[in-house]
Amino acid sequence: MRRKLRLPPRLPIGPRLRLPLGVWIPLAFFGWLATSQTARSVDGEGALFEKGKAIYASQCASCHGERGEGVSGAYPNALTGDSTISEIAKVVDETMPEGEPEKCKGEDAQAVAAYMHSAFYSLEAQAKINPPRIAFARLTANQLRNSLSDLYGRFSGFSEVKAERGVRAQYFEGDRYKKENEKIARVDPVIEFDFGKESPGEGISADSFYIYWEGSLLPERTGRYEIVVNSSCSFKMSFGKLDRIFIDNHVQSGDKTEFRQSIYLTAGRLYPFKIDFIQRKRKTELPPARIRLSWVPPGGVEQTIPENHLIPSAGPATFSLQAALPPDDRSYGFERGLAVNKQWDESTTASAVEFAQIATSELYPRYLRSQKDKPNDQRQILKGFLEQLLSVAFRGGLDPELAKLYVHEQVDQTEDDAEAIRRVLLLGLKSPRFLYPLVDADKTISRRTANRLALTLFDSLPADEWLLKKIEKNELESESQVREAAKRMLGDYRARAKLLDGFHEWLNLSQPAELTKNQELYPGFDSQLAMELRQSLRAMIEEVVWSDTSDYRELFRSKSAYTTSKIASFYGDEWSPADPNKKGLQKTAAESDRRYGVLTHPLLMSQLAYHDTTSPIHRGVFLIRFMLGRTLRPPNEAFSPLSPDLHPNLTTRERVTLQTSPQNCQACHSKINALGFALENYDAVGRYRAVEGEKTIDATGSYRSRDDLPITFEGASDLANYLADSPDAQRAFVNKLFQHLAKQPPDAYGLDTLKNLTDQFRRNGYNIRDLIVEIAVITSRVHATPLPPNPTSVALKGQP
Amino acid sequence: MKRFTSRREFLVNTGVSAAAANFLFSLPSLGWAASSGTPKKKRMVFIFSPNGVIPDHFWPSQTGKDFDLKRILQPLADFKSRMLTLHGVCNRIKGDGDGHMRGIGCLLTGIELFPGDVQGGSDTPAGWSKGISIDQHIKNHFQSNPDTQTRFGSLEFGVMVPERADTWTRMSYAGPNQPVAPIDNPYLMFDKLYGQTKNRELLASVLDELTADFQKVQQLVSNEDRRLLNDHLDMVRELEVELKTELAQATKVDKVGHAVPHLPANVEEVNNNIPQICKMQMDMLVSSFVADFARVATFQITNSVGEPKMRWLDIEEGHHHLSHEPDSNEEAYEKLIKINTWYCEQVAYLAKKLAETPEPDGQGSLLDNTTLVWTNELGKGNSHTRNNIPFVLVGEGCGFSMGRAVDYKGGVAHNRLLMSFSESMGIPVKSFGNPDYCGDGPLGDLIV
Repeated sequence: MRRKLRLPPRLPIGPRLRLPLGVWIPLAFFGWLATSQTARSVDGEGALFEKGKAIYASQCASCHGERGEGVSGAYPNALTGDSTISEIAKVVDETMPEGEPEKCKGEDAQAVAAYMHSAFYSLEAQAKINPPRIAFARLTANQLRNSLSDLYGRFSGFSEVKAERGVRAQYFEGDRYKKENEKIARVDPVIEFDFGKESPGEGISADSFYIYWEGSLLPERTGRYEIVVNSSCSFKMSFGKLDRIFIDNHVQSGDKTEFRQSIYLTAGRLYPFKIDFIQRKRKTELPPARIRLSWVPPGGVEQTIPENHLIPSAGPATFSLQAALPPDDRSYGFERGLAVNKQWDESTTASAVEFAQIATSELYPRYLRSQKDKPNDQRQILKGFLEQLLSVAFRGGLDPELAKLYVHEQVDQTEDDAEAIRRVLLLGLKSPRFLYPLVDADKTISRRTANRLALTLFDSLPADEWLLKKIEKNELESESQVREAAKRMLGDYRARAKLLDGFHEWLNLSQPAELTKNQELYPGFDSQLAMELRQSLRAMIEEVVWSDTSDYRELFRSKSAYTTSKIASFYGDEWSPADPNKKGLQKTAAESDRRYGVLTHPLLMSQLAYHDTTSPIHRGVFLIRFMLGRTLRPPNEAFSPLSPDLHPNLTTRERVTLQTSPQNCQACHSKINALGFALENYDAVGRYRAVEGEKTIDATGSYRSRDDLPITFEGASDLANYLADSPDAQRAFVNKLFQHLAKQPPDAYGLDTLKNLTDQFRRNGYNIRDLIVEIAVITSRVHATPLPPNPTSVALKGQP
Repeated sequence: MKRFTSRREFLVNTGVSAAAANFLFSLPSLGWAASSGTPKKKRMVFIFSPNGVIPDHFWPSQTGKDFDLKRILQPLADFKSRMLTLHGVCNRIKGDGDGHMRGIGCLLTGIELFPGDVQGGSDTPAGWSKGISIDQHIKNHFQSNPDTQTRFGSLEFGVMVPERADTWTRMSYAGPNQPVAPIDNPYLMFDKLYGQTKNRELLASVLDELTADFQKVQQLVSNEDRRLLNDHLDMVRELEVELKTELAQATKVDKVGHAVPHLPANVEEVNNNIPQICKMQMDMLVSSFVADFARVATFQITNSVGEPKMRWLDIEEGHHHLSHEPDSNEEAYEKLIKINTWYCEQVAYLAKKLAETPEPDGQGSLLDNTTLVWTNELGKGNSHTRNNIPFVLVGEGCGFSMGRAVDYKGGVAHNRLLMSFSESMGIPVKSFGNPDYCGDGPLGDLIV
């Protein structure tokens, strides 16, 4: 009697599970391909392959199917997964065929494992059987936000990346603007002043002065912010546009000194703001003068807006959508706009209405002013405005037929300009021409290329003047032209923001959970510290990415970090700031040999730990899935960790080993634990420790690579070096960034895309920015394929 | 046993405290309103016009039922039997702030302004009011009771209120230091009231075009990719059907008067459009009452020290500027009469509209259940007095005895009138605003 082979199957996924998958293989529509597929050896090991094939056919196929697809009533699950050939061989050798393991041993087991791996088991083999294609999708929530912001930006302009930080300030004698009364003009690093009853500066009286601050806010990430102004004096604040009043405290009244305003900000944009702060001379008692500009960033706590998020000049006006958008499908490990349902549809209506409002109140008046010297036919001007708006929204010109349908007929239905704008935008921003970014098969190559570049690098649509000019001149056809444009776009705030999100995806930090620790064991670990750690990690990543070498390996090797006085007081001398007198985030004074870039960063270490103890399992799973790009089966059932109180004499390592010792745990936990243990020198808050209780930490660990090599580690140092140099980790990194940028798997652009990109990455000295550019070139290159009468996916895929 | 005909009489004669009255009236046996089925709706509208009046051409010389209407009040002639003028009501609130600031800031709040940094033409600087205004107080009470709850509770209309938040531009307060900004752009008010409905209408009217274009777009994508577009199109079609049903339902309701009002297009917020904006806002106020969106409203025409230039009356100077002229300046005097007469015409327009609009779910007209309170921050412009503040009431929302001119000889604190308003809306209070001015209780002779 035959027994069945039990191997870790390909990771099953539910629609809501946030799990990283190396590669996703849609199985539904390509059955015909499987039948035409002839399995061949890739590596030229012809003889071994043929031998394995024969053994499989005679001993395995009756239960597992001709190509491992499974046999109902025998072993129904498909044989696919992430185990290496030797790991499969070991299982075959020890257990297969079921009940008669002696029938397939040694070299036979090796041969059958090699055959299975290359014919159907491995993810690569599956990709060959069912080649993924570029999925047709609507805009994701984030893409919709960004597209609307840039649609607004088409009229107001975009900010260049600025190096300067702080807020531009002018201090005046007397309570109003008068050029001759300006006593001080400077850049203030942050807005946090307590003048008391004193003068704010030389030549200015204490009882009557005016301070004007102007600058731009650079958000941390997309999300809801609270802007908080504490002021004991009269002030007015504009935000987003210099005449868009945000907080109006023109009247200083009684003890009212705190003003809070919540706003949803889209990252990758500067938000210009200004504050008029006035101490007015009066007959009655003058209150002491103080002001502080702070924020509560998403998931954070209130803090003075840090200098590195302030820019001392006011950029062009910015629009950020306030309407709530439903979250996108993330079952593939990255966001995809695949669900069309009522909730989403209603959110697109709300977005269109909101955009119509800003178009009416800000964009149209601006456009009108620009048309002053044109013949004064208001209706014609309105139509011109709306045509321009929709030609950007539709990612291509508006032909006369579309202009008639979307603009002229709508405007003609109402006398009211505001209603006309709302009508046109309700129709236009709910149109598939806006909501589906890849509906452009009828456009020029340069246009389609630009559409893809904007989608890849900005999650948005082409709206920058220079890019639109290139489209017009058809200057985005050759690979070098595309590369040049991608490089230019990469230098934009929008690309920076998107890239930073990508790193958070890579580190599984994109949806930060609240971080709390046992206050008896870790007094002082509070939400402010957690926020500052996030900011510290972010600064480290940005420094690596935007440094000259942009070297991926530095992410694991960097020995310096960013710190604050609070971080230093919690984590000790290693985290002392370079300049103890400076407030806010800054570099550490010294490098530390216990620091390995992002890997041992206290934020990551704390996140991958319990309330009071480390969690080698969380760390191991993170390393396997995220850092090394491997897949794991979910556990057979949910377990609670063994309590340290029940095993006071065991170290965490010993407890974990004990709990995961049963045979059916070991299939995965032998891999997980071996990686997680390597980080045991970093406790539940990421502090370095040499001992746990009275025992010396054992941080040895191991890993078996995709190419079947055994690796061993002696602590974080070895692990970090391995991750920097490991082909598995490099491939996982390239894959993650590719998915994040393209919202498609690399295989959809050709089965060797990931391999080629990773090889190129290596040849380019692991330059991250070059990698991004090359990804953008791949996802954006469109070749001159004539549009067939009934277009097929070939034309849309933009592949040769 | 003596029977009382009104709750007022009951209170006065039995000496029941306001707090106890609250308790007593919640008992079915003593609830006047509850005895006659659905309690009748009660509404109040506070209309503000600025800079004082010309008293000689405003106040009736004759009090009582046979009062006379002077020039300024002539536009209300048709409502003579339904109006009430209250002479002798004085805003006695002292403290920080100039006459205009205290005039508007304490008018509906009855309490001092906070110390602050807004310096007027005289006196000390001040900030916002220290307390809630009567309209918001009534609104809060209405909103806390399911029987009187409405979608918005209260609506704050404005006409050409300057884009400036200061003590002179706010009369309504949600609480201490919480001025409520009036909405003076009719299109914004329309959006607040009808925006959602209007958007649904617009959406319904563009869906045909949308589905047609969907079919064209489908030609641009491959067969595999069409599936998502098809799902999307199906959803749009479903939405079309739903909207049809929804809007058909809305049209049914329209027949009893829930119509979305139609505003004239592209009316800019500029001085010369004040008459038109005023009318648009008043029309919306009436339709919002028909839809029962709110039962309390404020209607603020410009602001304290407002400077509308009434060119439509051939007056080029700003109102506030003119109001400072001495009475001996005959030209200015005449213009001020005309200006105030124009304000009165607006009150009369609103009264007429309310009188002509039937109460949707009951008998009579909206005016039968609405009291308009037309008031001002000053008694007289050139003296800045806050004695004899104009209070002209029209309509029967409060249940006051109408068709009279009352003169409180020697003057009464306006807090007492605010208490009467509260009580008439079913909220007897021991004091309103600064209790120092409330000792004598609500004005005794207002209720029938």
